Amino acid sequence: MTGREAADRRRALVCVAPTVLALGALTVYPGVWVLWLSLQRRIPIFDVSRFAGFENYAFLAVDSRFWSAARTTAVFTLGSVALEVVLGVAAALAIQTQRRGRRLALSLLLLAWAMPAVVAAKLFEWLYHPSAGLINVALGRHAINWLGDPLVALPAVIFADVWRTMPFVAILCYARLLAIPADVYEAAQVDGAGRLGTLTRITLPLLGRILLLATLFRTLDALRAFDIMFVLTGGGPAGTTETLTVYAYRALFQTLQLGFGSAVSVVVFLLVMAVAWAYLRLLRAGAVTA
Amino acid sequence: MVALRRAAHRSLWLLGLLAFGGCVAGQETAPVTLVFKYARILGNADPLPALLRQFEAAHPGVRVRGEALPWASDDQHQFYIINLEGRSPGFDVMMLDCIWVPEFARAGWLLDLTPSLKPDELAPHFPSAVAEATYGGRVWALPWTFNVGLLYYRADLLAKYGLRPPETYETLVEQVRRIRAGERDPTLDGYVWQGKQYEGLVVNVLEAFWANGTRVLAEDGTIFPEPARAADALRFLRGLIESGVSPAWTTAADEELSRRAFGDGHAIFLRNWPYAMDLFEGQDSAVRGKVAFAPLPGRARGEQGVGSTGGAHLGVSRRSRHPDLALALARHLTSEAAQRAITLGAALSPTRQSLYRDPEVTRDHPAMPRLQALALAGRPRPIVPYYLLLSATVQPEFSAALVGIKPPERAIAEAGTRLGYFLEAVR
Repeated sequence: MTGREAADRRRALVCVAPTVLALGALTVYPGVWVLWLSLQRRIPIFDVSRFAGFENYAFLAVDSRFWSAARTTAVFTLGSVALEVVLGVAAALAIQTQRRGRRLALSLLLLAWAMPAVVAAKLFEWLYHPSAGLINVALGRHAINWLGDPLVALPAVIFADVWRTMPFVAILCYARLLAIPADVYEAAQVDGAGRLGTLTRITLPLLGRILLLATLFRTLDALRAFDIMFVLTGGGPAGTTETLTVYAYRALFQTLQLGFGSAVSVVVFLLVMAVAWAYLRLLRAGAVTA
Repeated sequence: MVALRRAAHRSLWLLGLLAFGGCVAGQETAPVTLVFKYARILGNADPLPALLRQFEAAHPGVRVRGEALPWASDDQHQFYIINLEGRSPGFDVMMLDCIWVPEFARAGWLLDLTPSLKPDELAPHFPSAVAEATYGGRVWALPWTFNVGLLYYRADLLAKYGLRPPETYETLVEQVRRIRAGERDPTLDGYVWQGKQYEGLVVNVLEAFWANGTRVLAEDGTIFPEPARAADALRFLRGLIESGVSPAWTTAADEELSRRAFGDGHAIFLRNWPYAMDLFEGQDSAVRGKVAFAPLPGRARGEQGVGSTGGAHLGVSRRSRHPDLALALARHLTSEAAQRAITLGAALSPTRQSLYRDPEVTRDHPAMPRLQALALAGRPRPIVPYYLLLSATVQPEFSAALVGIKPPERAIAEAGTRLGYFLEAVR
């Protein structure tokens, strides 16, 4: 190595250092600390603090509430992301074909997306109100027990989430649609492709990468979903809308079981990491073929 | 131009000097500032600002800053534990939900008030309110406002069918059937209560346990000492929903949801706290003059009905820099005069028994003497430092039994197992 190369290396290290330090202080340190906490029985207000090994995890393995929360998280994530992608693409296509009022449509979409989740949840709390809610009034009084029926509550929460976050997917897709050159469509028309053919052979494949990205973001968000169910149902009825993050919150902040709550958080973290890794692999594979 | 700029400079400099002087002067006479954390009080007029100014007038050099807590009880609790565990001395006097007192006392966050109390100082309060402020034989807070579970009923409807308020739930069910058959109003529900998965559900289930002669915790700390009776109580509550005596949405109902349904004239019976009475008697209420309350019913072969007690207490932070003044403020706010002002200005009930027969109070609230008898009979929820852990653990199980996706026996058994794992660490 020449002296110049060595100097370059040193400079590079100095340049990278702030990022590494910031990440270390803000991500790695708390992460390791949570991991360490999860191996303890720790309840500070009762002066309980002892090393417990994998006790918390062993309890989680047989904890029906944990598995119910895991199932709820999975259903919520799959349901909300699938609906968001389908409706998002549909909305983007609809706006693209619209002749007038595109700006208005986009602003309306953005309005829902810009609304804080808690505000959206409060809004839906009123819409779902059993006797005075707009939805039930439209259906006739006391038609559906939206937030109190174990079979309906989770779909109701998913619907509220889809309403709020579908615009995110729609706007990303719309931006990509604008970037598809018109001559591609003209060529397709010359070749005699119908509307359906154009959609499945040209538009959707060209949307592929941006959709994958949007899905990645939405999936990670959905796996950590908290505010919408916390406000709407508090996790009920019967814990059917309690996600892993709500369960972790109850353990950590309501009952101050720092060890047990950390164990739940670690599971959420691993889950999010695994999903992110899988998506990134997909994205990379896509980059090679494209 | 130059002159102008110079003038501007000079005035800036002067301003700076003034500000600096102001700081110094402020420090010299720095009045003691007490911070009081409380949740804003609902009602026609918030009486607290005036009460705080009164305290300042009586204690020259002391300023009291009232700071609002978040709206929801869960958020208030979270606010306290983050700040108290973080050793922040940000406040001196704090409003506490009575179920937190033993927990905060155990954590060492509250000042032990026992040495400063005069003998019999707490005697004028309801005994259950004093019990809720006591943990380990010592007093950690002063009782401030009081709550007890009541059975509201439509006096007009019961009178129309020649019925008296029910003493047992079995009678209540029978009365609901008779009245609904006679009224033929499909929008008229029978008995509404709180079945959403939250603290209110635990309160309602505990009351059902007591009516059925059992408890969630025995004196020796046994969890669900009589599981069969507990399961039977849950099955009964589920039956109310299944048979349509209580509407299906009971499983999503909190205090306000059920209060509104009853207040709009859509229910015959309601379980709720005393605050609802003032709202039912309000100018624009649909049920004005048609509502009365009675003790919660018992069970035909169980015990008499008992309402759960609740309410707020005032505690002094152990990290307060002015513990004597802070205690004086807590005393002032829980005094008879202050509780009278709060009772008159807001829909809250006092913990001092004399106020239930106070001429000024009864003029505005004629039901107070009756309320006193029911409040005296009320029973507190378990007074243990791990109450929130207990409540958060049983909530989804009770809710599962109510919505019918778990047999009551299994809900009780699984709640017991989970509680056992968590409690083994803390006791």
